[in-house]
Amino acid sequence: MDREELKKQIYTLIEQAQGKKKYKQMDVIKHFRNLGVPDSETKEAIRELVDGGKLIYTYMGGSYIELASKLEKFEKDIFK
Amino acid sequence: MTKKYDTPLLDELEKGPFPSFVTEMKKAAAKNPMAADELGLLEKSFRDKVTYWKHGGIVGVRGYGGGVIGRYCELADQFPGVAHFHTVRINQPAGLFYTSEAIRFICDVWDRYGSGLTNFHGSTGDIILLGTITDNLEPLATIFSLNGFDLGGSGSAMRTPSCCVGPARCEWAMIDTLDITYDLTQEFQDELHRPSFPYKFKIKTVGCPVDCNAAIARADLSIIGTWKGPIEIDQDRVRDYAKKGVNIQEEIVNLCPGKCITWDGNNLKIDDSDCLHCMHCITKLSGALKPTPPFGATILIGSKAPFVIGATLSWVIFPFMEMKPPYQEIKDFIRKATEWWSEYGKNRERIGELILRLGMREFLETVGLKPTPEMVKEPRRDPFWFWKEGDLEGKPWESWLK
Repeated sequence: MDREELKKQIYTLIEQAQGKKKYKQMDVIKHFRNLGVPDSETKEAIRELVDGGKLIYTYMGGSYIELASKLEKFEKDIFK
Repeated sequence: MTKKYDTPLLDELEKGPFPSFVTEMKKAAAKNPMAADELGLLEKSFRDKVTYWKHGGIVGVRGYGGGVIGRYCELADQFPGVAHFHTVRINQPAGLFYTSEAIRFICDVWDRYGSGLTNFHGSTGDIILLGTITDNLEPLATIFSLNGFDLGGSGSAMRTPSCCVGPARCEWAMIDTLDITYDLTQEFQDELHRPSFPYKFKIKTVGCPVDCNAAIARADLSIIGTWKGPIEIDQDRVRDYAKKGVNIQEEIVNLCPGKCITWDGNNLKIDDSDCLHCMHCITKLSGALKPTPPFGATILIGSKAPFVIGATLSWVIFPFMEMKPPYQEIKDFIRKATEWWSEYGKNRERIGELILRLGMREFLETVGLKPTPEMVKEPRRDPFWFWKEGDLEGKPWESWLK
């Protein structure tokens, strides 16, 4: 799988899991390992998505990877 | 700025002979509205006996998964200055050495972009800057970065490695704690800034078994300087201590856990083969006794205060490891150990807890170490050695019987 396709699939995985499951970095790596993607490639793709501002690390009793668009909504909700 | 809130309960904490954090907060509150509202909120919390903070969340600096801890106030309408009050962790210099210019720089930046309140240092060791708003996080990280500072660790990541003052100030340092800490910090930048572990992982390095940083109790990986040579004795200085009133028999000999010291009133003898390297005698008779090379470190794993089973000290993994740059052996070990932990650890499970759950035997196999007597934590407790069929086929006892 090429890097761009992998990034797209990681993003989709996180997007579709919203509200249902939170993914830690290792969960994402294991998910793609089962699809035959080497751990180092998944890790690098996550890094690019985070550096590019599409995904962020969140802390909810543990560190997770979530959509960056969640930040704005989070700050609005928290003051309700 | 005039006084914003009455704080009768907090005022009580200014009484007495000790320095008071309330006094310092009041100084900050006089010029910073965030600090003023923080003071008012704290008084209210003391009065109501509840906290009004929400902790955690998703604020941070782009590319970093740690270094910022989101905090929000439930009473934002009443205390608008602390509606956002995020904590920023900055990686401290190894050994906590600063020039006054560097400290002034940090405080000036924090007066401008935050509440002005700081905590030098947090229990992990970072510089803790208390209270800023989300919009200030990116500029803050940029300013610190341009001036040679970086964010520290937080969340499920490697935390900022820390150490004692080591050879910079201490006669007993047997390893270069400062260089080791700096080197490991550089080596594990990714693990520090991009949380990929099940939970936190702390590394603390101390120069000798006195363990001024309490690495044995506070670090997932404790690196404790030690020695292999005999303890050098200056008999004249030992006699001098005796003359000056030190009761060598009571205070040194009887308190030796290895029972390896004898004193005939004139000469002190140490049986080094039974020495447990606690350093009690060396510290009590400073200058009279001295450890000698080769120097290195004992590596321990797995301490944590609030385990399910209670506070746990870390566990010896390498009785003696040479600690010379580029420290490849310890780096390789950290990678193997954390990879295994990331693979099998549950959310919020520390590496020591995983070792207790899956067993030290499995851990040792994973990191490629053979069990040694020094790893036994308690007698009759740790049967690391289980024969497998393959082992028995080789009939190992035949060579032992020879």
